[in-house]
Amino acid sequence: MPGLRRALLALFFVGVLCAAADVALVLTSDHETQKALAAIIGPLIGLGFVGTGAFAWWRRPLNRFGPLMTAVGFAWFIGALTESNEAVVYTFGSYVGPLYLVLVVQMVLSFPSGRLDAGWPRAIVAVAYIDAFVLTLPVFLLDGNLNGPDGAPDNAFAIVHAPGVANAIDVATSLLGFGVAAATAAVLIGRRRNATPPQRRAQAPMLWTGLTVIVGLGLVFASDTVGLSDEVTGLVGFVGFVAFAILPFAFLAGLVRTRYSAAGAVGGLIERLNTPETRVSLRTALSDALGDPTLQLVYWRESAGHYVTYDGHRAEVPEHGSGRAVAEVERDGKRVGAIVYDAALRDDPSLVRAAAAAAALQLENERLEAELRARVEELQTSRARLVEVSMGERRRLERDLHDGAQQRLVALSLQLGMARRKVEADPATAGRLLDASTAELQRALEELRELARGIHPAILTDRGLGAAIEALAERAPLPVDLDPMPEDRLPAPVEAAAYFVVAESLTNVAKYSSAQHASVRVGRDNGFAVIEVSDDGVGGADPTAGTGLRGLADRLAALDGRLEVQSPPGGGTVIRANIPCATCA
Amino acid sequence: MTTVLIVDDHPTFRATARMLLEAEGYDVVGEAPDGTTGIAAAGELHPDLVLLDVNLPDLDGFSVAQRITAVHGAPAVVLTSSRDSSDFGPLVAGSGARGFISKGELSGAAIAELL
Repeated sequence: MPGLRRALLALFFVGVLCAAADVALVLTSDHETQKALAAIIGPLIGLGFVGTGAFAWWRRPLNRFGPLMTAVGFAWFIGALTESNEAVVYTFGSYVGPLYLVLVVQMVLSFPSGRLDAGWPRAIVAVAYIDAFVLTLPVFLLDGNLNGPDGAPDNAFAIVHAPGVANAIDVATSLLGFGVAAATAAVLIGRRRNATPPQRRAQAPMLWTGLTVIVGLGLVFASDTVGLSDEVTGLVGFVGFVAFAILPFAFLAGLVRTRYSAAGAVGGLIERLNTPETRVSLRTALSDALGDPTLQLVYWRESAGHYVTYDGHRAEVPEHGSGRAVAEVERDGKRVGAIVYDAALRDDPSLVRAAAAAAALQLENERLEAELRARVEELQTSRARLVEVSMGERRRLERDLHDGAQQRLVALSLQLGMARRKVEADPATAGRLLDASTAELQRALEELRELARGIHPAILTDRGLGAAIEALAERAPLPVDLDPMPEDRLPAPVEAAAYFVVAESLTNVAKYSSAQHASVRVGRDNGFAVIEVSDDGVGGADPTAGTGLRGLADRLAALDGRLEVQSPPGGGTVIRANIPCATCA
Repeated sequence: MTTVLIVDDHPTFRATARMLLEAEGYDVVGEAPDGTTGIAAAGELHPDLVLLDVNLPDLDGFSVAQRITAVHGAPAVVLTSSRDSSDFGPLVAGSGARGFISKGELSGAAIAELL
């Protein structure tokens, strides 16, 4: 952003001009007693804020902290108007003089983002502005004492002469100022208590210096009421003033400190990971190096397309804005895992990147272990599900036999018994009973045939996948297009799995899809048998909802195969199975 | 004439049993496809005999038999199933039913023997 850079340089130049004006005002002042000191220190403090603020602004253009710090510098220069010998300029300088203090309160409360949180911080800053510019107005108008040095011009804003009332108001505004300082200090201390270790480390210089300024400010405000001696007030004021002067440098120190500690932390991390005696888990090492005890590692499973934990369980990476940040770790251009860390560290992305790079090799090793654990877990789950599926199939077979063929055979037995009793006395009735029995027997046979096919189709064993799928297509209640089938036989388990994928899919098409048309493709692709059944129906199939598709997925998992279901609502359904197969080059 | 209520979820069996029993001089006064309807029908129709399937879709046939026979002046209950009585062990004896006839062996004479 060269435009911004030019603008900030120009702003700094304006700051230099202000500093020059400041020097001129001091040198020509009739009431400044320590001209040399004021002419050197005053401009340096102002330029310190303007320069550091502009630098922060340039580095983080979206962060408001830089602009705020620059504003403190310019407010400081405006305060130098009290060096003027002109009564109006002097009085105006006295009136706007506290602006830089209010801005300092706003700055320390909005560190590090530059934005004030709603609630206490915002309320404190609002009260500070009102105290400084609304409540003090009567002090000026009622001819109050401006507390200037000897020889300073008179209050030029006085309309009514009532210094008693004015000074009472002055005391009240000072007390309120003390309240603002105390509340600010409380917020800062509470914030430090709630901060995560990386936040604390990054904020420490700014926080402690800011707190010193605020405490000093508060004590000066309270000195009259509490009755602090002039010496103590002077000392406290001096300490607070020094802290204020070095505030920009504390901010810079915070930056340097995180940078410097980052280099040290990553160096320590590499050393720790490579020294067998001190070797700890990668997570612990990274957590120590980044100072984030909540840090988590997740490992990428390419085959499954998601992250897993070290134990091999599936892991979701947190969303943006959840207070957690994610740094992907790559090795040789391939994703191996990710570091999930406290979002406060995002202010220092180079540190996380450096740590991630240092940890990539070991993360890759742990990824392989996690992958293995995930595989074992998957196998255990799928084995258990296979047992469940096979139990379920046996239950279904028993029920089908009981409700179907067995009932028909019962009826048949009863009808034959009746016919036997009627055969001599009432041959006509006996004949009708025998006809009914024949029909019953036909239906029983048909049901048994259907059942046998569901267990294992004979045509598949005898004639192979092509013929078996042709038979399925012929029995389907809708037109089914068949792509040419592979001519060679596939391994028997692969053929059986492929057959049931087609059978189950076509059953689902007929039952649920309202499709006009379906097509089946079986091919070989790079060591896999690929089976695809698609239709032009209503879509919306959910592979996790019914037992059918899940049973298929388990059957395939037993062969290391995978089932994919694409079924957007209204967009038809594609069921695709990939089964590893040695002869499927 | 002995009045009969048939409780069975298979319509084929209900139709065949009705035909068989009527041919052998029984009066089939009602049919019910499940246990709950069967219990209600037994209370309304007061048949002499309930021919009750063991495997019903809602209730277990044995508990249906217990509930029908628990009432004073209850009908006689005969359990039936396409399974064999040996599949059920002591359940038949504990159900309050008069006995068990395998579906394939159902006849007027077999029922008369139990009554």
